[in-house]
Amino acid sequence: MHEFMKEMKQAVPHDSARKHVSGQSVYIDDMTINEQLLVGRVVYSQRAHARIKKVDFSKALELEGVHAILSYRDIPGENQMGPVVHDEPCLVEEVVECIGQAILLIAAESDQLAIDAERLIEIEYEDLEAVIDLRTAIEKGNVLGPPRQMKRGDADVELPKSVHRMQGELETGAQEQWYLETQTCLCIPGEGREITAYSSTQHPSETQAIISEVMGIPKNEIVVEVRRMGGAFGGKETQANWVAAWSALLCRATNRPVKIRLFRDDDQIMTGKRHPYLFRYDVGFDEQGMITALKIEQNADGGCATDLSFAILERAMLHAENCYYIPHIEVIGKVYKTNLPSNTAFRGFGGPQGVAAIESIIDQIARRLKLDPAIVRKRNFYGIDDRNVTHYGQEVELNRIHTIYEQLMESSEYEKRKEEIAEFNRQNEFYKKGIAMTPVKFGISFTTTFLNQAGALVNIYTDGTILVNHGGTEMGQGLNTKMAQVAARELGVTLGRIKVNATNTSKVPNTSATAASSGTDLNGMAVKHAIDQIKARLQRLAAELLSKDQERASREADICLEEDRVFDRQHPERAMSFPELCLQANLNQVSLSAAGFYRTPDIGWDKIKGWGKPFNYFAYGMCVSEVLVDTLTGYYKNLRTDILHDAGDSINPGLDIGQVEGGYIQGVGWCTTEECKRGAKGELLNHSPDTYKIPSVQDIPIDFRTSLLQQAPNPNAVRKSKAIAEPPFMHGLATWLAIKDAISAVRDHAFEPEFKLPATNEVILLSIDELMRR
Amino acid sequence: MQDVISFVLNGQRRQIRFGHEHQPTDTVLNYLRNQPGTKGVKEGCAEGDCGACTLMLAELNGDQLQYKAVDSCLIFLPMLQGKHLVTVEYLGKQKQGETELHPVQEALVEANGSQCGYCTPGIVMSMATLYKKGKQVEKEEVEDALTGNLCRCTGYKPIIDACMKSCQHISEDVVDEQADQVISLLKDIKVEARSIEIRTEKQQYFQPKTLEEALDLKVRFPDAYILNGATDIALLVTKRHLLLETCIDLSGIDLLRTIEISGDYLEFGASVSLERMKGVCQESFPAMHDLLAVFGSRQIREMATIGGNIGSSSPISDSLPLLFVSEAEVQLTSSKGSRWVNMNDYITGYRQTVRQPDELITRVRIPKNSDGVVMKFYKVSKRKDLDISTASAAFSLQLEGDQVSNIKMAYGGMAAQCLRVPEAEQYLIGKTWERKEVEAAMQMIAAKFTPLSDARSGAEFRTSVAQKLLLKFWSEHA
Repeated sequence: MHEFMKEMKQAVPHDSARKHVSGQSVYIDDMTINEQLLVGRVVYSQRAHARIKKVDFSKALELEGVHAILSYRDIPGENQMGPVVHDEPCLVEEVVECIGQAILLIAAESDQLAIDAERLIEIEYEDLEAVIDLRTAIEKGNVLGPPRQMKRGDADVELPKSVHRMQGELETGAQEQWYLETQTCLCIPGEGREITAYSSTQHPSETQAIISEVMGIPKNEIVVEVRRMGGAFGGKETQANWVAAWSALLCRATNRPVKIRLFRDDDQIMTGKRHPYLFRYDVGFDEQGMITALKIEQNADGGCATDLSFAILERAMLHAENCYYIPHIEVIGKVYKTNLPSNTAFRGFGGPQGVAAIESIIDQIARRLKLDPAIVRKRNFYGIDDRNVTHYGQEVELNRIHTIYEQLMESSEYEKRKEEIAEFNRQNEFYKKGIAMTPVKFGISFTTTFLNQAGALVNIYTDGTILVNHGGTEMGQGLNTKMAQVAARELGVTLGRIKVNATNTSKVPNTSATAASSGTDLNGMAVKHAIDQIKARLQRLAAELLSKDQERASREADICLEEDRVFDRQHPERAMSFPELCLQANLNQVSLSAAGFYRTPDIGWDKIKGWGKPFNYFAYGMCVSEVLVDTLTGYYKNLRTDILHDAGDSINPGLDIGQVEGGYIQGVGWCTTEECKRGAKGELLNHSPDTYKIPSVQDIPIDFRTSLLQQAPNPNAVRKSKAIAEPPFMHGLATWLAIKDAISAVRDHAFEPEFKLPATNEVILLSIDELMRR
Repeated sequence: MQDVISFVLNGQRRQIRFGHEHQPTDTVLNYLRNQPGTKGVKEGCAEGDCGACTLMLAELNGDQLQYKAVDSCLIFLPMLQGKHLVTVEYLGKQKQGETELHPVQEALVEANGSQCGYCTPGIVMSMATLYKKGKQVEKEEVEDALTGNLCRCTGYKPIIDACMKSCQHISEDVVDEQADQVISLLKDIKVEARSIEIRTEKQQYFQPKTLEEALDLKVRFPDAYILNGATDIALLVTKRHLLLETCIDLSGIDLLRTIEISGDYLEFGASVSLERMKGVCQESFPAMHDLLAVFGSRQIREMATIGGNIGSSSPISDSLPLLFVSEAEVQLTSSKGSRWVNMNDYITGYRQTVRQPDELITRVRIPKNSDGVVMKFYKVSKRKDLDISTASAAFSLQLEGDQVSNIKMAYGGMAAQCLRVPEAEQYLIGKTWERKEVEAAMQMIAAKFTPLSDARSGAEFRTSVAQKLLLKFWSEHA
């Protein structure tokens, strides 16, 4: 294939890959700044809930090399950081509400000096009653806001009429994002009030807004730039704002560049996690396992402030049914306040929690009825022509779950292996195997409708090179690579001509977070919109230039841009190179720059009624996972995992497969080894990778097969592609339920095992112990 | 005596003088990140768990260079003395202004093995070190080489693929091309090298070349930190930000790195790295080999030493239970002489031992298994690899027919120190090696311990799993 076609078609490597592997990629902490650079350090609360009686940092200030120590009194603007609700002070005034909440900021000439200074600071607390777990918060009714409800039919009436009825609870745990690059920001003072912030943020516009509010200076004095993040996963959607605001404060107070890079332990202690949930449900079903009615209460641990908790709750509620049509359903959602760092976005944004609950319910129904859970799932799937409206009123269009089911059940040899597993389990007392299949249907769009917009600024230079600016941020997902591919395709040029710029609020303003898996969909369309404008101008000019002195003029519509050339389709000999046309544009006073904009059409959603069309479309996928559990230690091994995922007409299958595999393994981490344990005073016990265990290379399936669904164009997004990012995270649930299947085999599936998420080896072993006592 | 250190960085000789800009307990990671041109190395955790700071360290072994991957966040600068440090920037060849990537780098690009890129330089260094083995590798070797490198983006598969692929055809790389020059530089440094004595305003750091000097220092500075690999002690600096006032670094003493294997025992110098020990034990002490295979990561084992591990005397030290049941002996040496102490008598309480302030751990001697003795070590941790034990157990069993003629069991993580369970041992000796008796002994194990609940697990789990490990041992050796 011609190189040009190959690039258009796709699996080009990540645009930073060569820099990554040779150590040339520049992250904020790698930037070379002059000797004026100071480091910032945050002094945070050691108590979960307390009144601050005394703060004395006079001795610390005397230390040579310490340039500033700031408290809330030194905030020139508003002492407020809450991205949605104003309930998060930038620096605590009187009462700390969690361990890790910032009280003071230090600027010093080195990390060690800042630490030495911190040791000289005296803070006295008067403890107040702290609520550090969700169950207590529920008992006390400590809500962060009014409950939400989504409802169809009448579950209360239908539940008692059901053939079978089951009630239960499920706990899902917190999860630390564990981006490799901890929260970092470097602020550089400019003239007057100007500040340039190099921030590792998924949401440069909000970071700019928060700096503006805290500093009390207008947004046009602040530039936020993001070249790349060393991972984010939602953890830098709102919570990157903290170090940005703090370094801005120190920068202004010292009038010197200030960098804050949190130490790993501080990052884990201070920042929010994936929301833990406690689900309580009441489900009715028939002999076939068809769910007739479901009433489910979703209780989220929001931590000490609102942050994005209600948007996350909303997504959990919108995914309470996953792929299943449930005629009578009532979903009640509540967010509780605890004295823990405010929980926040993490890949899936509530979706994984919502899906975990319904998948657990189906699993229990199948065990109760002694049916294959895969069959029960299939029976409950949304239909193609009927049973195809969700509990919030959106029609499930282009439902691919049936196709995926047929293909994956066959390619994974599910049925054959299920029999082999049953045989293995008959033969072995101390090792048990388990298998499970879980599907996912994930709604694509921000559920806060106005956020579904994006901007771009495309500049073409007279040498024919192109600089693409867009509002999305690069965190490893390959957004910039896809944007370059979109731009190259639209302009008919080779990728080598295109550079995607660092995201910068002065180039593209007022953007939404790169979140909700929407980066490519939104920014891709905005880039295309910008290019469409320039392209039209170029076609008009080319038509004129190419048919100069010709009898019949070229028509604009016949001007093609392909393979770095510009030509008239009707008269292919009328041609010029792309750079030549760009130079001519400048000479002919034609603009080579355009701003693009996009808003997702035809979506709308009434949050209060819980009804409407919140999503542009749905992404689908399915996973079959098989595990081996050592019943004497609780260890499990991931033997084989097959994933089939719907990425539409993938713009870049190499990157998309990477998202699927990486998302799945992150999901497996949430479901197995990643446990946030807290002590009696609310302190996080595992605040470093020594005790907080994300999956290692040894934890991936021995046999790991990932495919993208073929011939599945998506009419609703750029180049018929589909969002990726979040949906594959939920494939981890197949591994979770495979573990449960293996546990259940200890008593030949006669009883429902006690189970929760994550299923650590502790949970596994104690669940087996409990089964053996029955 | 010398107060400077010399080493080779990316093919160039370097010297560091301490006091103003550099302190002796500065880590190699921080040193490099403060230099222009070596910012490829990253800090992900500063505790040797994530591997983002992985570098390649080459040491002279006769006329050859030996390569190992190490976590630069846990290495103090003086430990570089006489070694060649290779960073990611060195691997590409500069040709006409373009960087020609190393085969492992190229393979990683092609396989989409890098997403956010922050872990990537460390992964490249682990891969490049494996590449230096100079032969095709098995998947298990690749996994072992990468266990100490966490990646949050990819799910590892493309990284494994890239590693397998690049090691299929090994060719001369940039490291080989300059090896002769580096060897000659290192030899020069070696000839010049003296014992190191660094004194700064707040610290003194010794790196003696002989045991006698070290023992003399131990008398003068009985409270000094003994650095023997420093993978644990370095955390005092990187995590607790403490100032280590006096350090005695044993890495310059060749005598402590010797290994003797006789008909009756294996004997290791205290500074033998766990990775080297693992290799030696593969044939002669498989239980120890298996233990070391899940001990930390490759990077940790390359630096950590058996003497250091015993010296930390932690209740969750992985090596202790097996050293207990194998009746290993530890040699304690002071300037007055040496004595051998059975490991079972060595530990006396929570991080308490019989070692006197003027003594150093100098050797460890492990009796070879008599015929018919089965030994096994089990470790339970939240994540199977690169994790610290929640609980661990070692068993040694001798059967006569189906009768237990001898059994020993020792548990880690169950109490303030590693402990044998004499009640269960005595019960089983003379009994038939059958499930009924094993289950009776399990009750005694449960009765013996009152474990803690902590960050790793709850007490109930520890009690349950401790018993089951005996059942597991039985099930595998019935």
